[in-house]
Amino acid sequence: MVKINLKTLKIRAQKEIEKTGTPEGLNEVFNKYLGTGKGELTLVLRSLGKLSKAEKVKIGREANDLKKILRIQFDQKEKSLKEKLHKEVEEREWIDVSAPGKKPLFGHLHPLTITERKVEEIFQGMGFSVIEGPEMESEWYNFDALNIPKDHPARDQWDTFYLRNGLLLRTHTSPNQVRYMEKNQPPLRIIVPGTCYRHEATDASHESQLFQIEGLMVDKKISAANFKATVGEFFRRFFGKDVSFRLRPDFFPFTEPSFDISISCVVCGGKGCSACKETGWMEVAGAGMVHPNVFKNSGLNPKDWQGWAFGFGLERLTMLKYKIDDIRLFRSGDLRFLQQF
Amino acid sequence: MHFAEVEEVKRAQGDFALNIDVRPNRAGDCFSHLGIVREIAAILKLKTELPFTEAKVKKRTESSSPAKDFIQVEVKDKNACPRYSARVVNFIKVGPSPKWLRDRLSVCGLRPINNIVDIANYVMLETGQPLHAFDGEKMKGGKIIVRYAKYREKIVTLDEQRFDLDSDILVIADAEKPVAIAGIKGGKLPEIDKKTKTVIIESANFNSQIIRQGSKKLNLKTDASLRFEHGIDPNLTEPALDRAASLIQKVAGGKIARGLVDIYPKKVFPKIIRLNLDYVESLLGIKIPEKEIRDILESLDFKIKNRVPPQRDEGEEEAEVLFAHKKSKILDVGVPTRRLDVSLPEDLIEEVGRIYGYDKIEAVFPTSSLVPSKRNLDVFWKDVAKDILKEAGFTEVYNYSFFGEREAKSFGYKEGELIEVNNPLSQEQKNLRTSLIPNLLKNVEKNFKRTKEISIFELGKIFKNQKTEGEKNMLSGVLLGDMFFRAKGVIDSLLNKLGISDVWYDEYKPTPEDSKLSIWHPQKCAEIKTDGKEIGFLGEVSPRIINNFDIQGKVVLFDIDFEKLSELASEEHEYRPISRFPSAVRDIAVLVPRFIKVEEVLNKIYDSGGDLIRDVDLFDIYEGEELPQGKKNLAFHIIFQSKTGTLSSEEIDGIQNKIIKILELMPEWQVRK
Repeated sequence: MVKINLKTLKIRAQKEIEKTGTPEGLNEVFNKYLGTGKGELTLVLRSLGKLSKAEKVKIGREANDLKKILRIQFDQKEKSLKEKLHKEVEEREWIDVSAPGKKPLFGHLHPLTITERKVEEIFQGMGFSVIEGPEMESEWYNFDALNIPKDHPARDQWDTFYLRNGLLLRTHTSPNQVRYMEKNQPPLRIIVPGTCYRHEATDASHESQLFQIEGLMVDKKISAANFKATVGEFFRRFFGKDVSFRLRPDFFPFTEPSFDISISCVVCGGKGCSACKETGWMEVAGAGMVHPNVFKNSGLNPKDWQGWAFGFGLERLTMLKYKIDDIRLFRSGDLRFLQQF
Repeated sequence: MHFAEVEEVKRAQGDFALNIDVRPNRAGDCFSHLGIVREIAAILKLKTELPFTEAKVKKRTESSSPAKDFIQVEVKDKNACPRYSARVVNFIKVGPSPKWLRDRLSVCGLRPINNIVDIANYVMLETGQPLHAFDGEKMKGGKIIVRYAKYREKIVTLDEQRFDLDSDILVIADAEKPVAIAGIKGGKLPEIDKKTKTVIIESANFNSQIIRQGSKKLNLKTDASLRFEHGIDPNLTEPALDRAASLIQKVAGGKIARGLVDIYPKKVFPKIIRLNLDYVESLLGIKIPEKEIRDILESLDFKIKNRVPPQRDEGEEEAEVLFAHKKSKILDVGVPTRRLDVSLPEDLIEEVGRIYGYDKIEAVFPTSSLVPSKRNLDVFWKDVAKDILKEAGFTEVYNYSFFGEREAKSFGYKEGELIEVNNPLSQEQKNLRTSLIPNLLKNVEKNFKRTKEISIFELGKIFKNQKTEGEKNMLSGVLLGDMFFRAKGVIDSLLNKLGISDVWYDEYKPTPEDSKLSIWHPQKCAEIKTDGKEIGFLGEVSPRIINNFDIQGKVVLFDIDFEKLSELASEEHEYRPISRFPSAVRDIAVLVPRFIKVEEVLNKIYDSGGDLIRDVDLFDIYEGEELPQGKKNLAFHIIFQSKTGTLSSEEIDGIQNKIIKILELMPEWQVRK
């Protein structure tokens, strides 16, 4: 029969728990005292049966209390050891957060695609359909149908690439006004994005190949005031701020009256700077009320319909938006440029 | 804001010069100081007093001898020359112009010559009517004949240029020879010199198209031809002539011969345009008071009459129109003959609108029926395809639609295949592109010096010399490096996301006629096929092509017919249920002869495994020294899964063994255990 001093057992056990520095060590101490097989306290509890009733009750209670206390202490110790361990691991695993991140391999859409989509989205939101047309165009659609007769100096406004097959490279997206109205009865609202060509030498602000967006709205009573509202809404949404704009008289054979549209300089806000040649304004588009001859050439009676049309250069809008200073960058294929978008 | 843009203001010789961008429609009346003055007066609501009102000019003294005695004018073609007016001034003294005249001309960019020529030029700038001065004594036969030149007839112009003329070029001739190219440039023969005593001043009106064609043909543009080719009011010849004659008398002395020589068979009168004020309001979208409309039009010299109520006999149709507008006010507007640009009500509305001020028109949103925008599927699929390639790490480029000689040659295009540009800007732009590839390779070449990580694509038009489908959209891309299988993976994902299934890759078999296909490395190119149709190519660029570019290493390309792609694309996509039962993976490695295609092995595995194989992944292809000559090792993960229950390992072993057995039935195939 083991003579047990629960008090010394408690002191010994607590000391050993205290001393232990590792989870493995703690496990050993636990087995030594509370282990299922040979734990000292386990043995005490197991030997209770051999004691007298009074002793059984007394020692039994003391031993059970001690067991509870030790368990709590083991648990606490275990927690603190784990915490310590985590801390050590964490400290060992320091990284330098100021080191550069690894970039995922993203692709890039062309800035003109980004702008085209933005423009399309805004106009689609106002009920305009997106239409496309051919880049090789006949003289009829590109000029005659648009009230630009042969041997007329007005044609000089459009320097043209002529092709061996008798066609030409469209100088604007306007042929699609006629192409669309031939096949579709008004009321109608369309925009026509597409590549156009100008036979002119290139420099930082001139290109022989351009991306244009045409707009056309026709109904019974469409007015210049309606045009101002629509185009104003477009500028507000496109530039994301209140951009003021103005119409000035201009001349296009296929619109009458004709306007040019300038917006307040997006660089200086209209105060005057080098970007707007100190005028505070930037020319961005041509527009006007559809000429009666264009309706006639589309098979519509000009007495029945009124409408407006505009043409934007997408490069110009994109250059304004991103402050790009050389139009030739768009078709340069230079990744240093393209991968900024 | 109301008329034209002042592009530049500069100080010149103590004066100011304004450079005004007059649009071509207003060339007829505003390529002149007088025209600009009229515009400014209308905009500022000022009255103008012109320096040569009739009264002022009439003060000149005319001699008793009539001009007819000095010159006889004959116009052969009234269409080519609707009016020919001339005056004669005798006893003049040719010399340098006074300082004011010289200064004004040089501020305007003209070189002073002598007083007579300078006055002709000065009055042209002032009025817009080109004038020409001949030495009256040098005109053979005392005649002026307006006629077409004879074939190869010759003329030497004032600036000593020689021209061979042709029968479609209008000239002014004396009894013998051409003395001027009509409306374009004067000739050397009757030049004004120090000894000139008698000057004939020509003030004529020529057909704008004939002058334009002549000027183009001779490649000769002058201040006169510029004005004539835009069209000028025939009624302008006389006041300009009178102004010039009186100035000559003032500056160079002399006596003006009596009368005007004037051939003007079809006099031009002002047009009358009917302007409905309701239409003005409807088109501009703002109500401008009638009084203001009248004032604007009158300030621009339009003459307004109220419309007389319609007579019964004007025709029913017209009566009906008027009935419909019975409350509307209609003005009859007389158009000054110099306003060649105004012939429709819309033209008048522009006049009203611009002087009134477009800035005063309030923005009003259109009221229109609520028709939703139509979806354009071509545009939609373009956006989708571009986004997929962007997600796959590609950068989009836009290239020019042209080919140079170099590209045409190095890609072996034959004559007739390409569409030639008649008037290219440079040799680089001689042809329209029939493929996006050459320019993409140029992009690689351009970026190659800076980076080796290049994957780019373009979606754009190509052009073919054929009746139908002359232009179509292609989607092409380039990857730098040994990237065939990466490119193939990209194409797989692209087609998959576009909802195109049943895609397969066929070995490309070149046909001898197909020159463009020499782009491809013959052993490393595949045709992309779906639904039995070829929709594009994928492969490595032939070293023969790469050698023409400054690129080292391999380049992989894809070239897909986008029209076919967008036709096949579909948004339909069905969810495949995730099996509730676990899957199991077994590996298998097969040693096969080098030329055996992975696809063949895959097909055998699928065929023998049946429904219980969910997927087979090739994870390794190995050819190396340890392997027998001419063999390669293919390693697959086979994923087994049933839709109806958990597969036991015995079941899986069973299928696996069946697969092995079937694979080993093939001669020279060996499953490695």
